[in-house]
Amino acid sequence: MAIIYPDMYKNTGKDHTRMPKKSTYINVKTTERILSVAGGAFLLYSGLRSVGRNPVTAISKAVGGFALIARGVSGHCPVYEQIGTDGAKSEAVNIKQYFTVNKPRAEVYQFWRKLENLPLFMRHLESVEQKDEKYSHWKAKFSKNTPALSWNAAIVKERENEFIGWSSVEGSTINNAGKVEFRDAPGGRGTEVQVVFSYNMGGGGLGSGVAKLFTPLVENIIREDVRNFKQYIEAGEVPTIAGQPSGRD
Amino acid sequence: MKALCWNGIKDLRVETVPDPTILNPRDAIVKVTMSSVCGSDLHLYNGFVPTMREGDIIGHEFMGEIVETGKDVQKLKKGDRVVIVSVIGCGECHYCNSGTWSLCDNSNPHAIMQEKVYNYSTAGIFGYSHLFGGYAGSHAQYIRVPFADNGAFVIPEDIPDEKAVFLSDALPTGYMAAEMGNIKPGDVVAVWGAGGVGQMAMQTAYLMGADKVIAIDRFDYRLQAAAKYSGAEALDYEKTDILEALKEATGGRGPDVCIDAVGMEARSTGIEQYYDKTKQVLRMESDRPAVLRQAIMACRKGGTISVVGVYAGLIDKFPMGVLMNKGLSMRGGQMHGQRYVPILMNLVQEGRLDPSFLLTHPMPLEAGPDAYAMFNDKADSCMRAVFMPNM
Ligand SMILES: NC(=O)c1ccc[n+]([C@@H]2O[C@H](COP(=O)([O-])OP(=O)(O)OC[C@H]3O[C@@H](n4cnc5c(N)ncnc54)[C@H](O)[C@@H]3O)[C@@H](O)[C@H]2O)c1
Ligand SMILES: [Zn+2]
Ligand SMILES: [Zn+2]
Repeated sequence: MAIIYPDMYKNTGKDHTRMPKKSTYINVKTTERILSVAGGAFLLYSGLRSVGRNPVTAISKAVGGFALIARGVSGHCPVYEQIGTDGAKSEAVNIKQYFTVNKPRAEVYQFWRKLENLPLFMRHLESVEQKDEKYSHWKAKFSKNTPALSWNAAIVKERENEFIGWSSVEGSTINNAGKVEFRDAPGGRGTEVQVVFSYNMGGGGLGSGVAKLFTPLVENIIREDVRNFKQYIEAGEVPTIAGQPSGRD
Repeated sequence: MKALCWNGIKDLRVETVPDPTILNPRDAIVKVTMSSVCGSDLHLYNGFVPTMREGDIIGHEFMGEIVETGKDVQKLKKGDRVVIVSVIGCGECHYCNSGTWSLCDNSNPHAIMQEKVYNYSTAGIFGYSHLFGGYAGSHAQYIRVPFADNGAFVIPEDIPDEKAVFLSDALPTGYMAAEMGNIKPGDVVAVWGAGGVGQMAMQTAYLMGADKVIAIDRFDYRLQAAAKYSGAEALDYEKTDILEALKEATGGRGPDVCIDAVGMEARSTGIEQYYDKTKQVLRMESDRPAVLRQAIMACRKGGTISVVGVYAGLIDKFPMGVLMNKGLSMRGGQMHGQRYVPILMNLVQEGRLDPSFLLTHPMPLEAGPDAYAMFNDKADSCMRAVFMPNM
């Protein structure tokens, strides 16, 4: 595993030290730069076209358009810098998320540890099959247009009611590793949960292969799926509007 | 079913859309009997709340009858006559548990979107943009109500529809405005905006011990209603110097509590209006804070500013020095209706509160576009138009 997994236990507070701080640094590949300019121009165009009709989304589209163009022209992507990914060199994406669950720590830990529970609320997981105490088999589908992915993972480190660390095993299509930690929140406010997750699609950032469609999309999907954990365990369901009526139907 | 959909700025259309269905175990489906317009809808109508999509069904102040319940709904049953709080709360998170329902952690399906703007996400609200969850609204024949056991309250038989419907939004919002003001006996309370929300703030301010309530607006019919139904002294901000008049009315002290029941589309007089309007149109400032500025200036030293008028984003020329040096407190928020409805039902039953004068225009849903134009222009002495989608 080439990614940051071992470092996660060190709690350095910073995931990436390799990015130079100068924000003119080129971290976007050439094909991607062309795509950015084209995509940016489209957003800008469609944004400006609808100003009269819906100024607010129009302006945000236009701003997005400018940002993409800037990224293409300068070869620097502020988004990559934010998530700590360098699209020109490495494809690992690291996600860190913190939230507090209004439930006792043992209950929260147990719920997560029973990995088969995860697809109940992580919408993009099709299934998790626990093979034995250590190994499990995962199936996920991130969007309609991309193939389903599956991989095997192993629990590599755990302490009851405190943390669970996992990693995909050698040869997975999606290399990933993560750790979730559980701590008592002060004043009886439940359990503080910290999730660190890192993945690597293999084969390039925004500019190449499947991963081209994926990188920013998957990050949001994973963040939502992690949030769903809190929503499901507290409220018993994940809020949704999928399937409700609108004038668009 | 028929529904009133947002299609762009000042472009609402009555459309035929599919009926809602149960999507989650704690959902209920409500057949809407009354659904009111609210000042918050005007911010959507005029394009000041971002993330509306063409085809979104609007409306959030409503009542109706339960026609179907999800498998985890326990308190409600088919046939119940209910009023539904505009803000959606899960009832299980830390915020709901501490009575701050509009800050719910778990009811906004677009939490990730809101976090990008506000750094944290707040509760979902019916028919109130995708930033607030994108939930279909109540200007329709049927609506899906998530976490129905928390948000839908069975209405006692002796409260008629024309009172009950305002328990959904205007009444709890007014009540919360007064509560945030921390009113003490003898206090003078000034309320900017004599719409439905302002009127309810005036009425509840008296219940909390205010000695005198002063209403500020420019529409004569609204000021008259404030005097007649809400017992307020009225000031027309176009004809009076408000800062001077408030000193005069308080022996020079200034009001103890100042309530902003206007929000981001406040009008002002003279150069200030051009300044804010221009900046807002150019999106250099998202909200026009004329009332907020005036309230901060007017408030007595050590007083409280309570903000229920809605703001969405950034404001400009905020008199921070005045707020700090006069030692003011400022509070705001979307209302926590689930906490207030039981209290308010009692007060309405006892006859100590009566919001029914707000219902000036009962209308069929088909009249939706005209009703909003009238409400936006404050034409025909409209306080609130209320649709009856199943009549
Ligand atoms: N916090 C909440 O939960 C909540 C709930 C409902 C409504 N609201 C907000 O409350 C506000 C009022 O709602 P409403 O339904 O009463 O709206 P409304 O449109 O009926 O009334 C607003 C009133 O403000 C007056 N106004 C405008 N500029 C003014 C000024 N400079 N000084 C004094 N008055 C001025 C208008 O003339 C109008 O009468 C809106 O911003 C609405 O979005 C908040
Ligand atoms: Zn409202
Ligand atoms: Zn909640």
